[in-house]
Formats: sequence, C-alpha cells, structure tokens
Amino acid sequence: MAEFSIIGKPLPMTDARAKVTGLGKYADDLVVPGMLFGKILHSPYPHAHIRRIDTTRAEALPGVKAVATGRDAPHPYGILPIGHDERVFQTDKVRYIGDNVAAVAATSLEVAEQALALIDVEYEPLPAVFDPLAAMQVENPEHWIHSNKPRNIEKEYHHVFGDVEQGFAEAEIIHAERFYAGEVTHAAMEPHATLAVWEPDGRLTVYSSTQVPYYLQRTLSNVCEMPMSHIRVVKPLVGGGFGGKSEVIPLEVAAAVLAKKARRPVKITYTREEVFYAHRGRPISYMDLKVGITREGRITAVEARMVQDGGAYCGYGPVTVLYSGNLLHAIYDIPAARYDGYRVLTNKPACGAMRGHGTVNMRFAFECLLDVLAEKAGLDPVELRRRNLLRAPCITANQLRVTSYGLPECIERVVERSGWTAKRGKLPFGRGIGMACSHYVSGAANPIIRSNMPHTTVHIKVDRDAGITVYTGASEIGQGSDTIQVQIVAEVLGVRPERIRLVAADTELTPVDLGSYSSRVTFMAGNACLEAARNLRAQLFDAVAKKLDCGPEVLEARDERIFPRHDRERALSFEEAVAAALEAQGALVAKGTYAPPEEARGGTFKGAGVGPSPAYSYSAQTAEVSVDPETGQLTVHRIVVAHDCGRALNPLTVEGQVEGSVYMGFGQAVQEEMIWRNGRLMNPSLLEYRIPTTLETPLIESIIVESHDPEGPFGAKEAGEGSLAATLPAIASAVYDAVGVRIHSLPITPEKILAALQEKRRQAASQTRNSGTHPGGGS
Amino acid sequence: MIPAAFEYHAPKSLEEALRLLNRHGSEAKLLAGGHSLLPLMKLRLAAPRCVIDLGRIHALRYIREENGRIAIGALTTHTEVLESPLLRTKCPLLPQTAWEIGDVQVRNRGTIGGSLAHADPAADYPAAVLALDAEIVAASADGTRTLRAAEFFVDMLTTALLPGEILTEVRVPVLPPGTGTAYRKLHQPASGFAIVGAAARLTLGSGGKVERVAVGLTGVAPKAYRAAAVEKALTGKKASEKLLAEAARHAVPQDVELLSDLHASAEYRKAMAVVFTRRALEDALARAQSKKR
Ligand SMILES: Cc1cc2nc3c(=O)[nH]c(=O)nc-3n(C[C@H](O)[C@H](O)[C@H](O)COP(=O)(O)OP(=O)(O)OC[C@H]3O[C@@H](n4cnc5c(N)ncnc54)[C@H](O)[C@@H]3O)c2cc1C
Repeated sequence: MAEFSIIGKPLPMTDARAKVTGLGKYADDLVVPGMLFGKILHSPYPHAHIRRIDTTRAEALPGVKAVATGRDAPHPYGILPIGHDERVFQTDKVRYIGDNVAAVAATSLEVAEQALALIDVEYEPLPAVFDPLAAMQVENPEHWIHSNKPRNIEKEYHHVFGDVEQGFAEAEIIHAERFYAGEVTHAAMEPHATLAVWEPDGRLTVYSSTQVPYYLQRTLSNVCEMPMSHIRVVKPLVGGGFGGKSEVIPLEVAAAVLAKKARRPVKITYTREEVFYAHRGRPISYMDLKVGITREGRITAVEARMVQDGGAYCGYGPVTVLYSGNLLHAIYDIPAARYDGYRVLTNKPACGAMRGHGTVNMRFAFECLLDVLAEKAGLDPVELRRRNLLRAPCITANQLRVTSYGLPECIERVVERSGWTAKRGKLPFGRGIGMACSHYVSGAANPIIRSNMPHTTVHIKVDRDAGITVYTGASEIGQGSDTIQVQIVAEVLGVRPERIRLVAADTELTPVDLGSYSSRVTFMAGNACLEAARNLRAQLFDAVAKKLDCGPEVLEARDERIFPRHDRERALSFEEAVAAALEAQGALVAKGTYAPPEEARGGTFKGAGVGPSPAYSYSAQTAEVSVDPETGQLTVHRIVVAHDCGRALNPLTVEGQVEGSVYMGFGQAVQEEMIWRNGRLMNPSLLEYRIPTTLETPLIESIIVESHDPEGPFGAKEAGEGSLAATLPAIASAVYDAVGVRIHSLPITPEKILAALQEKRRQAASQTRNSGTHPGGGS
Repeated sequence: MIPAAFEYHAPKSLEEALRLLNRHGSEAKLLAGGHSLLPLMKLRLAAPRCVIDLGRIHALRYIREENGRIAIGALTTHTEVLESPLLRTKCPLLPQTAWEIGDVQVRNRGTIGGSLAHADPAADYPAAVLALDAEIVAASADGTRTLRAAEFFVDMLTTALLPGEILTEVRVPVLPPGTGTAYRKLHQPASGFAIVGAAARLTLGSGGKVERVAVGLTGVAPKAYRAAAVEKALTGKKASEKLLAEAARHAVPQDVELLSDLHASAEYRKAMAVVFTRRALEDALARAQSKKR
C-alpha cells in the first residue's frame, strides 16, 4: 500500500471553486450597511515641507462624514522593530510623490473624490534626490530625507567570513564587474483594499487584503490607541501578494482611522495607480561583484557590494539588504566572502519585500559572473557549478545550516531534459541556451520581532457532526497554503479532505501565525498542523483502543477508518471513533505549534538574524532563446526548471508556484521596469508597466526534485520563491550563447542588446581580421 | 477609474450627429469604438461635457467598390477590414495592417475612422493610408470635403479635421497588377501599438524595374510620414535585395523629430525604422514578383 493517501496527490485547491465561479469574496467585494467610501490625498511633490493643511472646505461638503490628517494618528510605525519612520498621514513633510497627507470618508466615491480637491495644503518644496548613489552624497542635513539618517543611509552592513585576502591570493582567475537591476513591483491582480468596521461596542473589525493580519492588528492597536484585543483583523480571499501586502500599507491604517473618527464602516480600495505608488517592491540595485576561482574552477573568495535604492521609508529595507549578502551563501561552497550592503533613502515610494526577497538581483549578478568565469576557465557553466556544490548536511561560512540539498539533482535533471550538451555553444547564431541556479529559505528561523514564542499555532476541533475544524492563523494569498494544511490534517487523521473546514487568518478566532512571507507557511503552519493532528489522533486512538481492546500504538487511520495495523477488518469508521471519543470527553480539541530549532537560528554577528532558515529550497534552470541581431528583439522559447521542494505535498500547487516564480523572473529579466522621472512613475498601469501576458510567456517545463528535509512536514520545503532568481541569469546566459553579448543590466531590453552588438562590431572592426568565431557557433 | 460625468447622445443618422455636434461645439466628443477615447476619459485626460456615440449610425459601416476605388465607412471595425474579401484581393495593404493592430478585442471594437481621427503617433493605419494615397472624406453641416492622406495628419493627435466635422469615409485605390504590399511592425509588447511600423507598396514594371513605390512610416515621429527619399532611391531602378537595403537607409529624413518614450529611445526608433522599412520592402517585392509570374 502506498505510504500516503492524501499527501503527494495533485488535489485542486480548496478555494478554487469560489475563485473560478466568482463567488469568492475579496476585500473589495465586501459591503456592509452604512458603509462609507474612503479616499486618500497624496503628495504631488517628491520632497516638501507641509506648511499648512486646511480641511474645512472638505468637511463642509455634503456627504463627507470624516476627514483625517496626521493629527488624528500621530504614532509612527514600521514593520521591523527598528526604523519606525512611517505615519499614516504626514504632518511636517512629504517624502515622495504619492506620500499620504489626508483622507476623507464620504457617502460615495464621487463625493470623496470631490472632497479631496477641497483640502488645501501648502507645501514648501525641498531639493529631492532620486538616485541612491547621489543620495549618499547629500551633505546638507536640511536636505536629508529623515533628519536622523545622515547622508540618507538607512542602514549599512559590513560582513567578512573566512579569509578573503587569502582566498583571492589563491585564486587563479578573478573577475569583477558592476551589475545593475531596475526597479520592479509585484503587480498582484487584486488591488489593495480594506474595509474597517467600527463596532457598536467600540471595537474595530478590519477586513484587509493582507499577508500579515497579526502585524496589522499590532500596528492598528498602536496607531489607533486601542488594545490589541479590541481589534479584529480578518483576511478574506487575497488575489496575490508577492510581498506587496506583507507589511502594513497606508490604506489599512487610513481606513481604520477614518472608521474610528466617523464611527461608521469605511472601505478604501486603491486604484491601480495607487497600487503602483504603494509599491514596496524590489529596489534598484547597484552591485559590484568580484569572484575568484582556481584553474579547476573552485571558488576561493567572493567580494560583493550592494547599494539599494530603498525609497523614502525604511519598511523591510534592512532585511532586504541583509538577504542580498547572507544568501550569497548556502547554495555553493564559498570559503570566504566579504559583503558591504547599503540601504539608501531616496524621494520615491518605499521598496520592500518582493518574491525572492533580497536574493534575486544579487543572484543575477553572481550567476552571470559564474558564466563569465566558466568561459575564462574553459569550463562548461554546468561543470563549474558541479565543482562548487555543498555537501549537506553542513554549516556555511556565515553559519547557515543546510540539512537537505537537492541542487545536484536539479542541475542534472535540467541538463538532461533541456538537451544542454547538444545545444550550448552549438546552436546557430541568434539562438542560444543558458543556465543558472538559485535557492531560498523555507521560512525565516528568526521572527521579525525577536521572541521565543512559537511562530505559529494551530487548533483543531472535532464535535458531534464529526466535521473537523482547523483554526489556523496562516494567510492564504493564492499560494495554496490552505489546501496544504487541509491535506496534512486529512492525511494524519485518515479522512477525506472534504471532512475538514479551515478557519484561517482571523485574529479573533485563530491563534497567531506570523504571516505569509519568506515562504514559511507550508513549513511552519504545516508542521503545526501535523502536530495538532497527531495530538487529535492520539485522543481518537485512545478511545478506539478501548473499544477494540488493543493498544493505541497498533492503530492506523486511513480511508475514513481506524483499525489495528494487522487486522484491518476490525475497523471503526471515523464517525464511530469520534462518537467513542466524545463519550468520554465531549468536543475534541488539540493544538500544535512550531518554532524553528535553536541550531537553525544562525550566528550572532550584526545582521545574522536574516538568512537562517530551518531548510533551503534549490532550483536549476535552462533557458532557450533567440535574438534578432538586427533589432535586438529577444524571444524566450523554453525554460526547463527543476525545483527541490523537499517532499511535494501537492505536486499541482508546487508546479503552479514554480511556474509562477519563473514567470515573474522572466518578466523582470526581459521587460518589467518601473521608470521614474523626478520621482514620478511614468508607467503606473498594467498596460505600460508590462507584466508579461501568456502570449509572451515561454513554455515552462517544471521538474520536481524531492530531497526530503528532516525538519519539514513530511519532508517538505518551500516551493513559492526559490525558482524565481535563476530565471534572470539563465536568460542572460542564453543571450550570450545566442549572439555573444553579455547584458548585465536588468531588464535585458532589445535596445541594450542592440547597443552591445553594435559595440562588439565596432570593436571587431577596429581589431584586425583575427576576430575568431563566435561562441554561439558563428553566423 | 471613473470618468467625469457627461451627457450622452446616440444619434441614428449622420445628419442628427452633425446637428448635435454643431449644438455642443467644443464641449462634445465623438465616440466610435471608444478604445482611445474611453481610456483617456477614465484617466481624466479627457473630460468632455457631452459624448456623441456614433455607434448606431449603421450607414457608416461598409466596404464597397465605387468608381475604381474602394470606399470604407468610418465605423468599419479593424476586424471587418481584416476579413474583407474585397480588400484582401484588391487592396491587401489595409487588411495586412489591420491584422497587426492590438489584440482581438481592440480589433473588434476599434474603427478605422476613430483611429485616423485620433492620429495616435503609434497607430498603424496612418502608415498604410499614406502609402496608399488614400482619400479621407469629412462631413459637416455645410457639406462634405475630401482630403488627401498626405494633408490629413498635421501633428501628434492632430488632423486636418475642423471642429464640426465628422470623418465619414476612407477611399483607397484598387491596386494595379504587379503590385505587392506589406506592413511590418515592431510591437510595443503589452498594447501591441507600433514602436515602428512600415507600410510598403511596390509595383514592378518591365524588366523588374520599380515602376512605383510608396512607403509610409508610423511610430517614428509625432505624425506618420511618407519616406520620400526611400521612394526616390528606388523608383525606376531594377529591384534587388541590395537596392532595397540601400534605399531603406533613407527611412528617417534629417528634419524628422524623433519620438522617444518609455518603449524606445529616439536612436533605437531610428535604427528600427531602417530595418522595418527594408523588411516591408522585401516582403512587398516578393509579393510583386510572385504576382508577375
Ligand atoms: C489595448 C489597446 C491596444 C491598442 N493597440 C493598437 C495598435 O496596436 N495599433 C493601433 O493602431 N491602435 C491600437 N489601439 C487603438 C485602437 O485601434 C483604437 O480603436 C483606435 O485608435 C481608435 O478607434 P476607436 O474607434 O476606438 O475611436 P474612439 O476611441 O471612439 O475615438 C478616438 C478619437 O477619434 C474621434 N473620432 C472617432 N470617430 C470619429 C469620426 N468618425 N470622425 C471624427 N472623429 C472621430 C473621437 O472623438 C476621439 O477623439 C489600441 C487600443 C487599446 C485600448
């Protein structure tokens, strides 16, 4: 008999029907009696003192029920324990175009919009700075974006692991280069929306499109000066987050402040333009990278410098810049590394967490550099990677613990499936194949706010209807975590998934879970579900053992029955088992928790908290492209991706996540970029920002590699982010294979390719005849 | 996003539409397929007090042959142009161009009259109507007048239409034997609009000589234009791949002000104008040659 009956099956997601039929409710679908419509007034200046705000004309407009400014919510906040520099409405100065100044709640959206135009704000513009390298040079304290952040440096980290000088001295081939990545944003289909309901008993219920309901509850308690227990946050269906909903977004606070002031329900939904300005996406990154290898291709030392354009507020910034440095490690064997990371403030919307948080741009640089080094060493890029693999279990130079490591298999599988050996360097001019690898954490081993409490707790209840209710704080945002939790509980209790109801992400009903970020939910809430279900099963087994007159240890639960392992015919149905257990103790309840083990929590150096994870996922990819050398137009035909997710609890959702990651990586690689002119976003719409449509998206073939992590639930690791980063350098490598130019600036646009080709032709012409043949096989 | 409030009229005849247009003057906007106007209104870049919807005027929706020319009603959709057997056989450049516009939804709603009247610098039809020496008919309360395509496009989003005029018809020639046409375009990936679009029409005479050639370019400059220097370099010469490539180098005259935006820089557009002019000419030549045979 198969080991599992539910785990490992490609079950459709539990919320699929609601979503596909349109019956599912997202935050903006919610309507309650007496509901007002909120609108936020945004700054038209990138940097300015606020001299005066006069709301009297707006307040006088019929239909306006509340106008709020910074005076109504003076407390600063921020997602991290440090850097609390945000206020829902600014009082003294604005720091980016789109910064929040005031808000109104009115009986209709039209009235709310009219009211915004009646708020008089007097600004005194200040010099603004939009480039992080320039921002770091601003000497005049009057012009710093936050007066307590000299030269606009939000945070800097300087790490050295191993003997870097010695490492470079031993290197026989060293290559150094600067890389650039433009800014990208999540572009989730669902715009942010919040409905805040002022309850008759003076409590607040907030329905919001969030990945972090408990952090929202905490922040609202602080800003609204109400005890946490008087604020209930409920997460309805969320139409994608990708990190863009993983910190408190101004509209969430604005809706609550307005509701409290108006004593009425208030809903705010961002327009698509507001979503773009709310942002919190992946920052512009300048990366200087130097890597040394031996002639045999072993990495001896790495030196990396990262400057990130964080925008006007701190947000997750320090975490982003730490991920960039700390996750240089735990993918290859790197004996020595230096990292200098700078998070810089500019007069643009704050950046934050975005799928592959902090790792994607640096991984692009690193993998591109490996491609160069492989060529210099006369090695196949695949072979260079093979020579630098880790040997798990192991601890990296920066004290990350790797317990399972499917990267070698990922590499071999994509090499085989893609036809790599027959293609690399051998396709006709204009066609090429490239490869790269990436990895990611399965949840952060350290909570955002340091504590020794479990990261997640799950309750299970079973009562007379023999239905099983799982209470989980975990936030389903489309990644399928609700489904996975149901599968885990169903497997342990031996029941059909339909028997299980999941109550999720409602701070009043469900115990705390830290949220949907850093790919933690399957791993952590999954482990908590596993423990809770086992505890519940123990209660059932005790009751059944009495009935069957056997020991509970011989019992098994499967196919809606509980039976002694060696005497399957003597079974009690699940209902009978529940009835037997209820007789003794009434409704059954059980609990499970999860906290990552001590050994997984990393080192003690400054910044060591970011990067450690109980387990890492791995990905290897090949990309096959063609480039039109006359126009620079790039077409990505096929991406073969192998992802090591530990055990695939649900291959369907794993594939969905892997494809989604590759899709986002592809978008960033070739066409997505936020384009700024003096702090104004030039493409704040889906039409102009250009996330790829299905028409442009290449064929994605995903291969699941199962390395079975000892700590993961049933051996599972993350699947939602780790395959994003490899897509970008794999495409860059393929472009080089196709036409012989290396584009180390993202996105890889036709213009950049064409300019590089022209430059190459110029150089070839200025040299003599001996230009040689092109690595892609010559024209 | 919500457009500002407006008054709405849906006249059933051209006369009624003209009357309404006269009455409301500059406060009114005509609505055809709405694929340019409605986005502008939603973004509040346009906020007309009054919208006159031409959609019910079925008399403006036709494709027919008249006096050796093909007449197309202003409200004819891109899809209707694309699928017209008459155009496909007698003036294929227009269907070839329509095929490259946007996506299915855009082609099903957008109209030839709306596209020309809007004069978006990235729109496709302008290149084709220039290359075809099309005539554009405008009606007003005072009667109708006929404009040549070459005088119709004035500047970015500006045409020779006067206030109070409605574009009613586009007339294109029935192409003579030995003629090949092609439209080649570099798409802006998301919308499909032209970064560069080149429409070519080429008639071969005796001995493989280029008897007549016209090239219209869109996307490059604030308004679509005829690449006169390219045409001059080809006319009367024996067609060859080399000749086409040489001629295409003249696609962007010195005095053209190049567009530069999010999607492409001026230099890139200039380089692409040359590439796509050559490609359009090559296709047109191949088609002309296959018809000769
Ligand atoms: C997503 C998207 C992609 C697109 N891609 C392309 C593309 O690739 N190539 C391309 O060429 N176009 C493209 N378009 C534009 C599309 O073809 C439009 O339909 C067209 O430009 C305008 O035609 P319409 O009938 O929709 O006009 P409307 O939007 O209704 O009107 C446009 C303007 O013309 C005026 N007008 C309309 N009819 C008349 C008339 N008979 N007389 C006088 N004035 C009139 C209106 O008052 C208005 O100012 C795209 C549009 C969208 C939304």
